[in-house]
Amino acid sequence: MRRLEIRGRCYAMSDISPPRLLDFIGAFVTGGLLTLMVWFNGTLAVTGSLLFASWVPHITGSILAIAVLLVFRPKIAKPEAKIPWWAYLGGISGAFTVMLTSATMNSALAISGTIALGLAGQMVFSLVADKWGMMGLPQRDPTARDMIALALILSGSIVLIFFGGA
Amino acid sequence: MLGYAALAVLAGVLVSLSRQLNGSLSMFTSALHSSFWNHVVGFAFLTVIGIAIGGLFAGDPWGAPWWAYLGGPIGFIFIAASSWAILKIGAAQTAMLIIAGQMISGVIVDMALGMAGNTSARIAGVALILAGMLVSRSGAKTKTTIPGTTIVPKK
Repeated sequence: MRRLEIRGRCYAMSDISPPRLLDFIGAFVTGGLLTLMVWFNGTLAVTGSLLFASWVPHITGSILAIAVLLVFRPKIAKPEAKIPWWAYLGGISGAFTVMLTSATMNSALAISGTIALGLAGQMVFSLVADKWGMMGLPQRDPTARDMIALALILSGSIVLIFFGGA
Repeated sequence: MLGYAALAVLAGVLVSLSRQLNGSLSMFTSALHSSFWNHVVGFAFLTVIGIAIGGLFAGDPWGAPWWAYLGGPIGFIFIAASSWAILKIGAAQTAMLIIAGQMISGVIVDMALGMAGNTSARIAGVALILAGMLVSRSGAKTKTTIPGTTIVPKK
């Protein structure tokens, strides 16, 4: 990481380089895709089992993935590098999530509690992951501005989750 | 109750863990490859669980409208986009913006489908989220420049 040196003291450069607008909008739109996924997969779960509602999108997603890889042949960033075995386990972590939320949704927490606590879990892990540069990803120190933005977004989410319904 | 609360937090942790793992894989390969592996490995895992526990085809699995089966292709784009974003803007910013996007689009879909809801709470919630995004963006233009200082690379 680049550092700013002032009178012998070092300041992290990440403090003064916020994300570019395109990256910022891209991540926001990605969140919109999640709403479509919850909607479509949730519709499957109305008639089929919860396991089925997670199994089917993994099949149709795999089919598109194979087609995309065959047609576009994306370049492999580090063909010579030895990829750690655990880097392939993102799918298992994701599949476990479905099972956990299926269990907690049917407890006293209901959907709203499940989502709200899930947001907390996501943010705590992401902040720690950034701080440590976990799994070889770029290390970033969260700034005061990040924490204020985070607090506003989480409180808005909580208002929508608990009071936005009928 | 406390046990279920811990499980719900753990579910959120696993969402971010999955994003971190896929982001790591995409550093070695590409965002599209990482989404491919996420889906294939997840499919294999769920198939094993389905065989072990059973009940995969319980109810009326083919009774849903055709478009409901298309969540997978959207998921493929979602995982690829997340892997791309986490490398560009970091895990916390990615999580924050995905949550913001999900919440605001959720309100739009609910309103488009005519779902009953508390209008003032919807306005307040969306306003808070937009304010958070604005705060996060507001630093983008102001470059901190202190006279008589230089930027030096870390030794």
